[in-house]
Amino acid sequence: MIKIRDLNKFYGNNQVLKNINLDFSNGKVHGIVGENGAGKTTLFRCISGLEDYKGEISSEFSPLKNHLGLLLTEPFFFSKITGKEYIRLLCNARGISIKDIESRNIFDLPLEQYASTYSTGMKKKLALTAILLLENKYYILDEPFNGIDIQSNIIITEIINKLRDLNKIVIISSHIFSTLGDTCDVIHLLRKGELIKSVEKSNFKSLEAEMKNASVGNKIEKLGLR
Amino acid sequence: MANRRLSDLGVNPAVGYILGIATFILISELLFTKTEFAKYLVILTGLGLIIQSSEIKRTEFLKIVFGNKRSRKIRVIENLFISLPFTILLMFHMAFIESLLLILSSLVVSNLTLKNTGNYTLPTPFSSRPFEFTVGFRNTFFIFPIAFILTIIAISVNNLNIGIFAMLLVFLNSLSYYVKPENEYFVWVYTVTPAKFIFEKLKIATQYISIPVSPIAISLFLFYPENSAMILIFLSAGFAFLWTMILIKYSAYPNEMNLLEGILIALCINFPPFLLALIPFFYFKAINRLNVLLK
Repeated sequence: MIKIRDLNKFYGNNQVLKNINLDFSNGKVHGIVGENGAGKTTLFRCISGLEDYKGEISSEFSPLKNHLGLLLTEPFFFSKITGKEYIRLLCNARGISIKDIESRNIFDLPLEQYASTYSTGMKKKLALTAILLLENKYYILDEPFNGIDIQSNIIITEIINKLRDLNKIVIISSHIFSTLGDTCDVIHLLRKGELIKSVEKSNFKSLEAEMKNASVGNKIEKLGLR
Repeated sequence: MANRRLSDLGVNPAVGYILGIATFILISELLFTKTEFAKYLVILTGLGLIIQSSEIKRTEFLKIVFGNKRSRKIRVIENLFISLPFTILLMFHMAFIESLLLILSSLVVSNLTLKNTGNYTLPTPFSSRPFEFTVGFRNTFFIFPIAFILTIIAISVNNLNIGIFAMLLVFLNSLSYYVKPENEYFVWVYTVTPAKFIFEKLKIATQYISIPVSPIAISLFLFYPENSAMILIFLSAGFAFLWTMILIKYSAYPNEMNLLEGILIALCINFPPFLLALIPFFYFKAINRLNVLLK
């Protein structure tokens, strides 16, 4: 379980997270949705300990960050490090020894090539492969389906299902509602730094309709397309 | 761009330029008083900076924006401008042929474009513990054969100074691997305390620098046993500077090392025992900085 209590985050005078209270339970996949600037990435950065915050974030395995696999929206890669070296770097950092990295390369990535030469989707898959090899208890996947091909999309969905079966906590953000609908057990809606509501799987359809209505409204008509 | 970088460092650009020029003069004068190979080091540094401006993305950008003719002119002016302080320095020290060589080289380089190596991955002996030496080696691999050839020359012409210079060249090159702070993710991901993190960084750096430095140092010890003490002093200084550089990097982390730290390093080149005070100072500062990410 990860518990968030009275979480507030300020950048100067600008409050980007407002009194967030959330429980992430084991064996569940939690979706976080919200418009750009709603505070999703800041929330992830607070949970992972990359940002200071006011409030309390606790977990059964402490410190939380040492048991967390964090997939960033745009993973960073050094200019001249191969895919295999990138995985090795993260494994070394976590004190994990993996002898046969190639056999764990389920996305068939060219591991001997410089990771910086990979396409956006390949970079994401490499970063995901690396964090999956770190034997984490918790996973934060910020836009895991971004730039990913259909085949890998299916594999990632299955990976998330497997993590659920292994009783891990998975927190995902995505701008594609259908991917969240397929993978999540509960979706938390953020708006302007506030947690608006948490919706169980049975109510995803109504949440999607509500979000569509709120974001689209009559904006398309305003375009005056002919 | 330079103005913005200086402002980011919290330095008034005008003050930054004056300090930068003063540091350049101080370091170059020190070099010329310490070694007879200073002029070659000046040429190498100047050329290194000029070559950086030939990177394919940059040159293509210039071509797209300014067209072929104007971009050629811009590159010639840029390269001459970059080489100017080094040319003046060489001329000041009566190295006219070398300064002419640098000007000609900068003109030649303005016609070159460094292409990406594509899918080719340069093998490295530093692959098992990425990343500083892994990336650094691939960026500066040409330094190593130069250093080894200089060592052979030092032995064949019986000139220990060249050998010492070769050894210091490898150390100096390795310092550049620690100039830029890495993305916070690559510190955050560690599950160790700041002290252990620093210790690991120092350990890996010591092990890895020993690979290229050992053959040079051992050759010098074998061929100049009467100068063992001097070789050992330079060897120790090389390690001490490398450790200091790592500590300075993390003492400023996640920011880049600032001007003051650069000046302190320059002072240490002049008076190496100063390192004994600086190493613990930067160590505790680094621990403090890393505490934020490695709680």
